[in-house]
Amino acid sequence: MDAATTEDTNPPISRRTTALGLPPLGDYLSEAFRYRTFAWYWSKADIKARNFETVLGRAWHVLNPLLFGVIYFIFVGILAGGLGDAERLALIVGNLYVWMFFSGTITTGVGTIQNAAAGLLSQSAIPRVVLPFASAISSVNLFLRSLIAYVPIHFLAQRGIHIEMLWIPVLIVITSLFGFGLSLLFAVLNVYIRDISRLLPHALRLWLYLSPAIWEYTQVLGPSTLEMIARWNPMFSGMTAWTIAFGGPLEAGGPSIVGQIGVFTAWAIGAVIVGFLIFVAREDDFAVRN
Amino acid sequence: MILQSGTDAIRVTDLSVSYSAVVEIPRHQRTSPFKKHTRKRDIEAVKDVSFNVKSGSAVGLVGGNGAGKSTLLKTIAGVLKPSQGQIDLWGRPHLLAPGMGFNRKLSGRENVILGGLAAGMSMDEVRDKQESIIEFADIGGFIDLPTTTYSSGMFGRLAFAVATHVDPEILLIDEALSAGDASFRSKAVQKVKDMCNEAQTIVVVSHSSSLVAEMATEAIWLHQGQIRMTGEVNEVTAAYEDFQKTAKERAQLDRMIAEG
Repeated sequence: MDAATTEDTNPPISRRTTALGLPPLGDYLSEAFRYRTFAWYWSKADIKARNFETVLGRAWHVLNPLLFGVIYFIFVGILAGGLGDAERLALIVGNLYVWMFFSGTITTGVGTIQNAAAGLLSQSAIPRVVLPFASAISSVNLFLRSLIAYVPIHFLAQRGIHIEMLWIPVLIVITSLFGFGLSLLFAVLNVYIRDISRLLPHALRLWLYLSPAIWEYTQVLGPSTLEMIARWNPMFSGMTAWTIAFGGPLEAGGPSIVGQIGVFTAWAIGAVIVGFLIFVAREDDFAVRN
Repeated sequence: MILQSGTDAIRVTDLSVSYSAVVEIPRHQRTSPFKKHTRKRDIEAVKDVSFNVKSGSAVGLVGGNGAGKSTLLKTIAGVLKPSQGQIDLWGRPHLLAPGMGFNRKLSGRENVILGGLAAGMSMDEVRDKQESIIEFADIGGFIDLPTTTYSSGMFGRLAFAVATHVDPEILLIDEALSAGDASFRSKAVQKVKDMCNEAQTIVVVSHSSSLVAEMATEAIWLHQGQIRMTGEVNEVTAAYEDFQKTAKERAQLDRMIAEG
């Protein structure tokens, strides 16, 4: 067989090489941006398909987190020796909606890569980051729907209207970014160590218990080690900010929402940068290893 | 080797592609129930391959199972990464992949949009081509039903219709012509031929030598990851068929000897 000999004056528009590591990020991002409509439509289709065969259909997007919240309200009530009042129920339900939004962003993002998303990994050169990004869009969409169920609970519990509520759109963006960044990181880990996807639900549940979602951020957890772990937890600042945004500060002179959002934003930006760089550097392995 | 005259659309230089696969260790070879039941096996699917494909040409890839045809095509498409060597492209490649991006729970009409966007079309392009895709698939009123209600033939027709309405500069076809019944297959072959006329460059993979001969003017015969022969399509496919026939006869003879 002869070797390739033709000389071309025009440089190639793309080149496939053995080079490992990061591709030119500008080219990568512009190619990913080309698929923005696909990401949006994929997310819409995903939401529509999720409860396709159920009798209640889309109502499950609201019912699921509501039932989750009620179960935890009863569970926490049993542990505390009394169910508590409507305000406590509203706090738990509101926080659990946020938690399901955050954990859902991670698990569905990992799932799109693990399940090789409708042949997209094995048959297409689509930038892989588009898939967890589409999942993150789905999670935001579902969270906004679940808020519809939260609003009557909020007012029935007389949590009132607070100036801190103006931070909710900002918190949605930060929570989504943090979940997206972690989904990229765990998606890569899961490609090499399949056990990650099995461990993830358990790790997320433990994380939930260590975050002030089903308990108030003003509570002391007890042993100082547990207390320290909880306070170093990125979702401590996240859930504290969400609790204040929904219902105002739980106590005068407590943590400020701006400070908590600042800490949470730093974690989110860090997670997105680290997650994105590791994901993009390793994504060539996805088609082979899936 | 240079296929046809003109400027290059694809240039493959000293390309090797290998990957690791996880395989299960047979029960009788396991030394301990506490050790892993799987091991990694390195597979070198394409070995030191070089060729050029000129812009405007249609090239067929023939070879048996495991010859490396699909791996080579996927590496050109950017799905897989070279282990050695490089591929230069003068045009955006499109791997014809029926059903890519589809969500089986959505209707056919919705999947036309989803599949079109996944194939790299813009929303405007998808909307422009939607009716033509639906007409080509010819599945009647089923288009508005969830694709879970489709027969495999109907699903294949719709998937093929979406995949073949993309306007690529470099079209890569991997065994994608088996959708639907006999009448749809001839329609499918004609559609791909039309695409060949419109696209600047085509690389087609098929087990069927006659199909390759029908669609390509040049051919490359791959055997165990290496190029065995290149040239005019009829010469290459004839040589490949002779090889297959001889291999089959040799296998039959071996079996007869073994059976006494």
